[in-house]
Amino acid sequence: MASTPAIHPSADFLKAFARQGGGAAARCYQCAACSSVCELAPAGAPFPRRQVLWAQWGLIERLLADPGPWLCHQCNDCSLRCPRDVAPGDLMAAVRATVVERLAVPAFLGGLVGNARRTWALLVLLPIAFWLALLAATTGLVAPEIHADMAPLEGRFHYEEVVPHFLIYIVFTAATLWVLIAVWSSGRRFWRMLGAGARREGSFFGSLIPVVIEIATHRRFARCERGVPKRRWGHFLLMWGFVGAALTSAILVVYMYGFGRYPLPLDHWVKWLGNLSAVILVAGGTLLYANRLVPGDRLAGATSAADRFFLFTVLGVIATGVITELLRFVAVPPAAAALAYVLHLGIVLTLFLIFPYSKFAHLVYRTLAMVHERMARLTTA
Amino acid sequence: MDRIGAVLCSGCGIGDAVDLDAVAKAAAGSGAAATLIHGCCCSADGLQAIRDAVTERGLDGVVVAACSERAKRAEFASLGFDAAGMARVALREHCTWSHPAGDDDTRLLAEDLVRMGVARVKNGSPIRPLSPEVSDTVLVVGAGRAGLEAAKTVAGMGHPVVMVERSGLLGGHLASQKSVLPEEPPYDRPHDNPMPGLIADITSCSGITVLTGTTIDAIAGQPGQFRVRLSGPSGRELAVGAIVQATGARPYDARKLHHLGYGASPDVVTSHELEAMLVAGQVVCPSTGAPPQRVLFVQCAGSRDDNHLRYCSSDCCTATLRQAYELRTIDAAVEIAVVYRDLRAPGHMEHLFNGVQRMAGMMMTRGDVEAVAVVGKPSVQIANSLLGERAVVDTDLVVLAVGMVPNAADGELVRKLHDARRDAEHGESAPVRADAARLVGELAAHDGTEILQLGYRQGPDLPVLAYGYPDSHFICFPYETRRTGIHAAGTTRAPMDSAQAAEDGAGAAMKAVQCIAMARRGEAVHPRAGDRAVPDFYLQRCTQCKRCTEECPFGTLDEDAKGTPELKELRCRRCGLCMGSCPERIINFPDYSVPMVADMIKAIEVPEDFEGKPRILALMCENDAVPALEAAAANGASWNPWVRVIPIRCLGSVNIVWIAEALSRGVDGVILIGCARGDDYQCHFIRGSELANTRLGNVGETLQRLALEPERIKVVELSHAEFDRVPRLLDDFASSLAALGPNPMKGL
Repeated sequence: MASTPAIHPSADFLKAFARQGGGAAARCYQCAACSSVCELAPAGAPFPRRQVLWAQWGLIERLLADPGPWLCHQCNDCSLRCPRDVAPGDLMAAVRATVVERLAVPAFLGGLVGNARRTWALLVLLPIAFWLALLAATTGLVAPEIHADMAPLEGRFHYEEVVPHFLIYIVFTAATLWVLIAVWSSGRRFWRMLGAGARREGSFFGSLIPVVIEIATHRRFARCERGVPKRRWGHFLLMWGFVGAALTSAILVVYMYGFGRYPLPLDHWVKWLGNLSAVILVAGGTLLYANRLVPGDRLAGATSAADRFFLFTVLGVIATGVITELLRFVAVPPAAAALAYVLHLGIVLTLFLIFPYSKFAHLVYRTLAMVHERMARLTTA
Repeated sequence: MDRIGAVLCSGCGIGDAVDLDAVAKAAAGSGAAATLIHGCCCSADGLQAIRDAVTERGLDGVVVAACSERAKRAEFASLGFDAAGMARVALREHCTWSHPAGDDDTRLLAEDLVRMGVARVKNGSPIRPLSPEVSDTVLVVGAGRAGLEAAKTVAGMGHPVVMVERSGLLGGHLASQKSVLPEEPPYDRPHDNPMPGLIADITSCSGITVLTGTTIDAIAGQPGQFRVRLSGPSGRELAVGAIVQATGARPYDARKLHHLGYGASPDVVTSHELEAMLVAGQVVCPSTGAPPQRVLFVQCAGSRDDNHLRYCSSDCCTATLRQAYELRTIDAAVEIAVVYRDLRAPGHMEHLFNGVQRMAGMMMTRGDVEAVAVVGKPSVQIANSLLGERAVVDTDLVVLAVGMVPNAADGELVRKLHDARRDAEHGESAPVRADAARLVGELAAHDGTEILQLGYRQGPDLPVLAYGYPDSHFICFPYETRRTGIHAAGTTRAPMDSAQAAEDGAGAAMKAVQCIAMARRGEAVHPRAGDRAVPDFYLQRCTQCKRCTEECPFGTLDEDAKGTPELKELRCRRCGLCMGSCPERIINFPDYSVPMVADMIKAIEVPEDFEGKPRILALMCENDAVPALEAAAANGASWNPWVRVIPIRCLGSVNIVWIAEALSRGVDGVILIGCARGDDYQCHFIRGSELANTRLGNVGETLQRLALEPERIKVVELSHAEFDRVPRLLDDFASSLAALGPNPMKGL
């Protein structure tokens, strides 16, 4: 903060920023109505007025190194009150998208996902093509055989005959490692940028625990004044649905190799957990998407192409997952079920791979910002 | 007047509150030849009763003791008396609405009010209106937008126009401008330059004589009868009835803005230099000749700055918005930044602001530009940015939005310079000559600035208001100046944009035509519009002290070689400031004079017993203070019953002798209530309050010599809206007098 900032509202930046939904920044006349209605802005570093100005001025470095956009939960109170229709809530979302794009490792993937309006087909089709190619090269593209001896609740066939488990492990372990490395690099950069010029106190993990509790309960959402109940519960369900799905996968692995049980019948408790997670995911995702469907509603906020792509990917994962499961019990040609399964694996892979470059990345950035907020004592400054 | 009737109205509750028979007796006692009490004087029946009394009793004047003179004007005007022949006494507002009914003090107040009314009419003499020969022609000086619009408006009203323009071309600054601010919906983009059409209108109009390359050599005379001598190729003499000065403004000299890089880098240009490039259709960085990728506008360049222009130049913000739009039209990729202190885009210009703000690559930000560094490309350093810290913007081309300076001369200072020059040569002693020489040096900047070349005692040009703009009263009387019949319009009057200048030109034109019509009838223009009485100077007793000629706010009086005032009655606004200034009391109006008010003061019965009945004289300005008092009465307020109010034309018309008269008759205190003075004055006659204050300051010392407390005289400034404050003012003054004790002159 010490150096005199050089204002350069470059046309390139403003164009990219507008693409992310921050196109109205120029209209702002800095009345600060937004900052004063915000319930979440820390007293010592209020947002979003300053961020709007930084965006106007093209001070990208400051936007990147700022915890503010990540502490914002986009209740859009500010957008509702803004006399100039700047929609600061959407602008903060645009800042977040910009940060994700700019801190991406490797950078070109950030651009690829950030430009989903043009690249979405590639992002969806490439992993599916990858699976098809992989299967063709290894086990061949085969439909599963019907096993008459299977219990009714176990379905009619094994999906393992379509895609052997070892392939799944190899691919997803590699993908996970990749995601971890990418997220670690970006997260570390972000954490260092946040820390420059701020004095932090206490340990990282000491602050992480209350932050995790806060995230688990969505307590911060409750502090927003308006428009939030729907979004709060949508997000709450979606988050726990994902947690449930992840947990199910982990337990399944344990069952398969620990107890040698495969396949599990539909009435097994692990299956119940998985299906419950799916129901919760569908409920949460639907609620969130429905929120966005009110045209012109300032509380709903704008939906950028990247937002829409991400939402469709999540809904795609849920939909293909549920369909794949159902097809085990329905009398359709097994080849159709195989296709559904491959599609599902493809879109799950998409979701995995875009993790560091999509909205998912907020899991890391927002958590880090909230830990930073505690350690730097922004609220009490 | 000799035979005066006192008409007492008992309507509006007056008769119930006061014993009007007793009041009628008081009127008769003070010399009224007849008295009449009627239940509703303003009715047809009441008016007829008054007319009958006038005929039967051979009356030459009446006192109508009823309501305020602001009420029932037309009704009582129908009686046919001139301003000297009839006095309206506001029994309703000043007495019965504001004081307890049936009270002894209320009756005494009513009696005094009516006696004062009788004294007033008694001192009046018939008004002999002037009917001068006047010229219908209007002279318009300056052919910019305001001037052209004025000429068009005057011609449209059927008056001949002579238009003089110093340069060889019509159109002023606007002629070389690409476009003007939006003038019609949706107001979000510049408007085509209206100048070609306007110039065509003017040159094709048979009633307008256009003289370019012409300046003014001399103007003599007065409204309706100005004699103008022109110089230049068309040199000639003409008679005109009124003058519109629309000499415009010039850009502030950017060479003084060195801290903003002007002169240090060719890539720092003024908004006018940019305009020339916009007109040429190609904007380039002068250093390279290449089009700039980034352009930065610096607002308030020299405006609102204590070291340069202290005022807001009013149109630079919107001019920048317009230029940004034009710039973008020429080059769609250019990045434009505007650094402003307050982006002032009033009224419909908000739409232009929005339109421009939404152009891609446009950034407007608040901040004070501290410096423009010009090593290589210009780099603009901003302080007090919206982040509360400094910031730097690098750019290719800096545009300084320079302010405007009126093309006007400070008539009074030019006169002072001429006087000083004369004294420097012919002064009676060496120190006088040295002082004068120093003054000549100080005023050197005014040398040769004359425009109108008026042959007025107070100077060859209009007096200026704040910041060198020749305005008279910016809120109440736009286009009027302190020289009757000469109307300032456009950017010479106040900083403004071109649409406002057009409106100004039309407004000034209407004022000019109105002034000619009123001069023909021998009437005053505002604020005593229609007043046909002119002051009478009993010059045999004049001591040539020059107070009147110097103090007249309107330059009405010229001087002969000896310093004797020469009245130019058509310039006069009838404020009476000369009357207040004259130590010999030789200046009087037929309907307002020193002896008249002195007699009104004498008409106040001052009880010798102070404990019971002190008396307080309130001389109140009829423009603001009296209406405020009457508004207070209408709102049910009441005030000390021992106060006697005399409405006066202006505090400046108060002759000190009145105060002396009041105090010597045992009045315990005198309060003068007038309008605000100073930079934000509200005085209708500009200097009235200020002069009264100076004159009374001198009286304070005299009082002390007479063993009278200076606190017995008080001057208060009051605005029209402060009606709730007036009663309190009077009551507070009364209690402060009670603390002083009785006037020792009482009963002497």
